[in-house]
Order: sequence, then structure tokens, then C-alpha cells
Amino acid sequence: MTMPMLTVENLMASYGVVRALHGVSLEVNEGELVALLGVNGAGKSTTLKSITGILRPVKGSITFLGTEITNRKPEWIVKQGLSLVPEGREIFGSLTVEENLRLGAFASYQRDRYKADLKEIFELFPILEERFSQPGGLLSGGEQQMLAIARAMMAHPKLLMLDEPSLGLSPAMTDGIFVLIKRLREMGSTILLVEQNAERALEIVDRAYLLANGEVDFAGTAEDLKRKVDIASVYFGGDDAAPCEVPL
Amino acid sequence: MSLYARFLKFAQKHSVLPMIMIPVVLVGIGVNVFGSSLLLNVYTYFCVSLIMVLGLQMFMGNSGILNWVHIGFVGVGAYASGILSTAPMVKSMGVPNMFPALVELNMPVIPAIMIGGLVAALLAAIIGYPLMRLSDFVGVITLFATLIVFHVIMTQWDNVTNGPRTFFGVPEFTTLTVALIGALIALVVAYWFRESGLGLRLRASRDDRYAAMSIGIDVVRVRYYGFITSALVAGLAGGVWAHFITSFSPKAFYISEMFILLSMVVIGGSGSISGAFMGTTFVTIGRELLRQVEGTINNAHVLSFEVYGLTEAVMAILMIVILIWRPGGVVGGQELRWPLFKRNKPSVTKEVSDGV
Repeated sequence: MTMPMLTVENLMASYGVVRALHGVSLEVNEGELVALLGVNGAGKSTTLKSITGILRPVKGSITFLGTEITNRKPEWIVKQGLSLVPEGREIFGSLTVEENLRLGAFASYQRDRYKADLKEIFELFPILEERFSQPGGLLSGGEQQMLAIARAMMAHPKLLMLDEPSLGLSPAMTDGIFVLIKRLREMGSTILLVEQNAERALEIVDRAYLLANGEVDFAGTAEDLKRKVDIASVYFGGDDAAPCEVPL
Repeated sequence: MSLYARFLKFAQKHSVLPMIMIPVVLVGIGVNVFGSSLLLNVYTYFCVSLIMVLGLQMFMGNSGILNWVHIGFVGVGAYASGILSTAPMVKSMGVPNMFPALVELNMPVIPAIMIGGLVAALLAAIIGYPLMRLSDFVGVITLFATLIVFHVIMTQWDNVTNGPRTFFGVPEFTTLTVALIGALIALVVAYWFRESGLGLRLRASRDDRYAAMSIGIDVVRVRYYGFITSALVAGLAGGVWAHFITSFSPKAFYISEMFILLSMVVIGGSGSISGAFMGTTFVTIGRELLRQVEGTINNAHVLSFEVYGLTEAVMAILMIVILIWRPGGVVGGQELRWPLFKRNKPSVTKEVSDGV
């Protein structure tokens, strides 16, 4: 068996005195599309922040491509090929679309490939070509999300992490984003997707982890999860989100 | 794309530089030929201010950190250049306690100004790194405290600066032409810096620090390099200023002067060099007009008291009004550009239907 691309073991993290993660373990293999599901406050974003080094974990280890990346600086981790599209479409609003994309390319020093990469990006996101010299802040929510994903793609990440890409988007736009994620996976990208919209995410992912109260509650293939866990109870039932057999 | 179309696109993209530089040069020539000595002085002062303000914009505008200590680096450049170029005899008379090694120094003005800039940059490199780790109001207050430290050292170290007393006898060198050339160079440098990779990363860190970190920008390091570059320009501006004014004291490098520089950057819009230029223009004109008004009122004795400080008070009120009206400054964060001469605009309706 080959080694997983990303291994997170027994990760604990806290904000001040509040412990947010109580030992999360997960794996992502090359070429996989893996989802991290759970309600608000389950620890999804905290896990991503710890992986990218923005938040320092209290305990646990994170290994990426055989290298220990725990407690390294975020900018070093990005250079290893691990890109995060942060929650809430954090694009640079006063910079133009072009500058946003150029910044993405800086991270990996792929400047000779810049023009070719732009062409690819424009094929995936035609709207960005139209908006090329406009400030990013003038784009609509969906366009900003596309820009954020495109910016991360410019760095040719080996693993792309998306933090709630559908947050605050219209249903039509959400559809578009999910189609896009599926397409990226078909093109060979490895993706770790954080989503609240579990039903939608399970339609496209290979495997999923269900987080609850800072712990992994369930792990398995998308099919398993759909079969064995009553998704609705996770979101409406609060604590008793324990796996249960759904009568067939 | 044809070569001509490509040139047009390039020229349009960078049109802000000629749009500022050509008027600056034309007015400069006009003032030089027709202007009175007062106007000549005002315009020279304007050009020197422009260098200082562009230096301030390079760091503050691009990083979003209110840089109070900027005027301190101007002072370092002014004193360094003054000490290096003033005749030993003048120094031994004017600064009785000066270190003998410093008294003997004597070099032509241009290298003295250059070294003054380097000294300021070196100082910024020594003290800058820990300061750049701080953001928001913590960063502002530490930079402000650093300015106080600079001021105390300048007023107390009478072996170097002549303490709080005036340092005089600096050779005159900065004519209108010199200041104008300096301002033009500063414009190009500030614009180039803003568009460079470093400037772009700095602007990204200003827009969103965490997003910048998450795409691999070392925020502290880009701020640090920006701070040093800005201090270099400040030091050079200080040298140019010192050889214009020829005698000065530490008072010239403190809060009230810094406030003028800040008002220039903030009124115009700190995010762009167009803003820095507009702010410097407005504030210089406003300041000179108000000074005339103030003088006239005082000389005519129409009031039973004298109205000192009218200039500063009105400038401060003006700044408040403009910032309520346009928080991003008059110009805002984007550079001015020559209007597009595009023939085939994409149809608006199509864009809208695609965007939904």
C-alpha cells in the first residue's frame, strides 16, 4: 500500500483555553476527493487552519508527502504544495483579478508557466477573463469564489483544500461550484473539501469524515456514510449524532 | 495582438506616470522662468515634500500600517547628510561638542545625500523586524513610540546633532531643478515598487493578512523589506531637504511635521501614488493660502488677538471633512488612468446573464 498524501494524527488544537479539537485523525490519498463534514463548531475549519499552519496545534502530528509539517510556518507549508481556499472567499478586494492570480503564481515560483496557466484558468472560469483588470472586490459572490479557487490553482497545489466553497452562494451558483470541484477531481487534483452541505458533498466525494465536537464521529466511503448515518439527525439532533442503522 | 495595440495597452496601463510627471515638469519650467522667489521656494518645497510623501506611501499605503516614524528617518538622512558635507570649520563653530571624528568629515553633497539615505535604511533594517510583527493599533502605537525615541535621541545627543539647538551651515545645493529631478525619480521608484512583486505582496497583506498567509506570503518579511525601502527614500528626501533649508533643529522631525505628511497621504488616498501626488498638491496649496490669510489677518490687526495656528487647525478640519466624504482619500486605492479607447466593448447584457 502506498503512503497517504496527507496524514493527520491525533490532532488537538485550541483557541486560548477553549479546546476545539480533541484528537482528530484523517488521511487523504493521492487523486482522492475527501470531504470533512459536520455542523458549525464541529472543528472543520480548525482542522484546515492547523494543517496550513495558520493555527498552531497543541498536540498531534501532520505529515504531508512524507514530511512532517506540524508547527511550520504557513508560507513554508504552501511551498510544499498544499493550498487552502479560505472560508468566506478571502480574495484581495482592492487588487485586480489579474493581480490576485499573479499572487497565486508567486507562491510556487512558476512564473515561466504563468501565461499557459492563465489560459487554462480562463477555460475553467471564462468570467475571470472578462473581469481581468477589475478590482476583485467588484466581483459577485460566486465570481469571487471562482477567483479564490483559481488563485489557489495557479500555485499548482498537490493538495487543494476548500473551506466551505458554497457558503453564502445562490443555489444555482452552488451547483456550478460543485460541478467545478468534480471536474477538478477528474483532471487529477487531490482535494480536501470542507462542507456543511453534506448531502451535496456526498454526491461527489470518494470518502468522507464526519466531525462532531472536535472528534471524528464517522469515517468511510461516501456510500457508507449515506447508508449508515442519518445525515438529518447530525444537523438537527445535536449531540446524539451517533451512527445508526437506517432500516432499509 | 499587433505591436501597436500592445503598445497602446501598455501605455494605458502605466499612463499614471506621464499624467503626473508631465504637469510637474511643465509647472516647474513655468515657475523657474516666470515665478517670484517666493513661488520658487514654494515649488521647491513641494517637490521635496513629494519625495517624502512618496516614500511614506511606499510603506504605509501598500502595507496599511500607519507609519509615524517616517519623519524620524527623514531626520536621520538630513543630519547624516548635513554632518558629512558641512565644512569642518563651520561644524567646529556651530556644534562645539561634536565628536572630533565627525568634525573632520567633509565630502561633496551628492555622495553625502546618498550615504544619508543608506544610514536611514540601515537603521530601519536594525530596528524594523520586531516592529513589523505587530499589526493594527498595536503596530501604530509602537511606531509612534519609536518616533519619540528618535526625537529624544536627536534632542539629547549633542555630540552629533547639536542637541535641541539649530544645526546650521549646511551647504546649499537643492535648487528647483534638483528637487524636481528628485521628485521625478521618486515617482518612478514609488510606482515601480507598488507594481513590483514585493509591492503586490505587501498590498495583498494589507487587504487580508490571513488570506495572504494562506497563499504563502511571509507577511512580516514583505513588511520588513517595504519598511527598509521606505526608510531609504525618507533618508534621501531628508538629505535633499537639508541642503535646501540649510539650518534645522530636531523640531523639524517630529509630530507636527509628521502630521502634515500624513495629511498629504491620507487626503489624497494612501493606496496609490496618484493619491500621494494629489494630497501633496492640495495640502501644499491649502497651506500656503492659509498662511497668507493668517499673515494678512495678523498684520491688519482686525482682531484683538493674533490667529496663530489657523493653518494647522483648518488643515486638520479639512482632513476630517474629506475623510467623512471619501474614506479612501480623494483618489482612492486605484491609480488614475487615461480613459480607455476601446472599440469592441463586451456587451453588458451578456455579462449580466452569465454572472447570475
